[in-house]
Amino acid sequence: MKRDYQYPDAKRFPMKDFDMVKEGVVSLGVIAVIVLVVAAIAGAPYRPAVTNQQVAVQSPVLVEQTALGDLDGTGEMASYGPPYNDGTGSIQSIAGFSPQTWWGTPYPLNTAKDDVLTPLTMLATASGNVSLKQALHTYETASGATQAKWSQNLTDALNKAKVVGTTVQLPAGNYGPVSYMMNAELQLARSGLLSGALARETNQGAYRWNVQNNLLFLQGAALHNIAGALNMSGEQWGINHDEQAYPGPWWLTPYTFFYQIPPWNTSDAGDQMAAYTVGLLFLVLIFVPWVPGLNRLPKLLPLHKLIWRDWYRRDKPKSEKGSVAPRHV
Amino acid sequence: MNWTTRMRKRATEQLSWDRLLPSEQPVYVNSLVYSFGVFTLSSLVVVIVSGIVMAAKSPVWYQTSAVGEYFRAIHFWSVQAFFFFMTMHLVVQFFMGSWREGRALTWVLGALSFGVGVLTAFTGYLSRGDFFSQWNQVQSKDAFNGAGVNGLFNALDNGQIYGLHIAVLPAVLIALIGWHLVAVRRKGVVPPYPDEGTENAKVGDHS
Repeated sequence: MKRDYQYPDAKRFPMKDFDMVKEGVVSLGVIAVIVLVVAAIAGAPYRPAVTNQQVAVQSPVLVEQTALGDLDGTGEMASYGPPYNDGTGSIQSIAGFSPQTWWGTPYPLNTAKDDVLTPLTMLATASGNVSLKQALHTYETASGATQAKWSQNLTDALNKAKVVGTTVQLPAGNYGPVSYMMNAELQLARSGLLSGALARETNQGAYRWNVQNNLLFLQGAALHNIAGALNMSGEQWGINHDEQAYPGPWWLTPYTFFYQIPPWNTSDAGDQMAAYTVGLLFLVLIFVPWVPGLNRLPKLLPLHKLIWRDWYRRDKPKSEKGSVAPRHV
Repeated sequence: MNWTTRMRKRATEQLSWDRLLPSEQPVYVNSLVYSFGVFTLSSLVVVIVSGIVMAAKSPVWYQTSAVGEYFRAIHFWSVQAFFFFMTMHLVVQFFMGSWREGRALTWVLGALSFGVGVLTAFTGYLSRGDFFSQWNQVQSKDAFNGAGVNGLFNALDNGQIYGLHIAVLPAVLIALIGWHLVAVRRKGVVPPYPDEGTENAKVGDHS
């Protein structure tokens, strides 16, 4: 007898015994054992995070170039724009539609002050370094034109610089106090203290939840060089794969795909376009039941016949005989 | 009308034990494809249990201790299993046209669960605390900024990412999946497409 509170198809189709609880328990047991064994044998991917200290030791010129770009405003982050500052360098817009700018600058970053002047002031105070204090004073009281001249000279010189031991050796030139400041920044990074000096800026207290400024100091060439060598940059399917031999987040494939083809990978608003494209595709997935054509596609494709092959085989003789199936109660 | 009476009556009818935990299924429920859903759920249970242990012990623990690394591996592989079975479940349910006969909400909840699952996993990848996290934090900031969600989400704020990963998004995901399960049980699994050219074709073709 079919009770009122059974779901509707229980009244339309013949039923069979089915132990749902047993299925769940067995499934959980099997999956848990497989996962525990695979985890024990294969482990999980892990590559230690890169620190400012490592970059300073391996690529000292790069640290000075990054700090100089932050100081003189030519660095990528210095002119990024919202949500960090008032620049325009990384604002994305599709035909004037740019919600990136709607929020203002909720995560403020002044690269000259945050990445160079404040950490160096702390260093000068902590070490009692009068020369550094004087260098900072000289820089901050110089005219904009003079500061720009020193920076330009040093930018050119860093392209020809040589690394001897732990220092960057420059050709003779007029760098004002900037070369001294950049060397101090490098030594601060080499000591391992630059990360702490940067991380404290985005936390307003003793706790360290937000590592924004520390990561943003590294986000340019420093991390790109390492990621590129690991085939992990955006045009190399970036986030889609993990360390070699481990599966990555392959479910992001449809999203990452757009970064490989034009116009997404050639547009300045490529991120914005990819996000909206994937958002649109996701909406289509959600609304499949109402999308004309798409909602009837499975009926046209033969796969359901394979999935329900036993049912159709069972049904056939009855149908051929013209019986009124399937009200087998 | 008394709201309590109404809610109780509706729950009694729609959420009876016969629907929620039936001991019978229609005979067409006879294929491995019906197990992808329960495999997905089983994987999620392992994800949640391993995640709770990791959250209880701290990110430093799961990066530096041998036992912590093992739990990170369990979490990693159960997430892989979760997405594998969820994707199989989604694909198969599409080919079964499983939104038919009043099951559209079930489909929508499943699709939303997939989307929230992707976001949950992404914040997890950013919480690994290794180079992968670091690199994808600086890379994804441009995507979040460009898409215009920068005011809501700072990919460089580990506190926010971790909170989203271990509390906010799992709560939403579990709620969606729970609702999805109730929707599945309330309506029952989708019947086969009617076999064209037979009397059977007239039954159940409300696609």
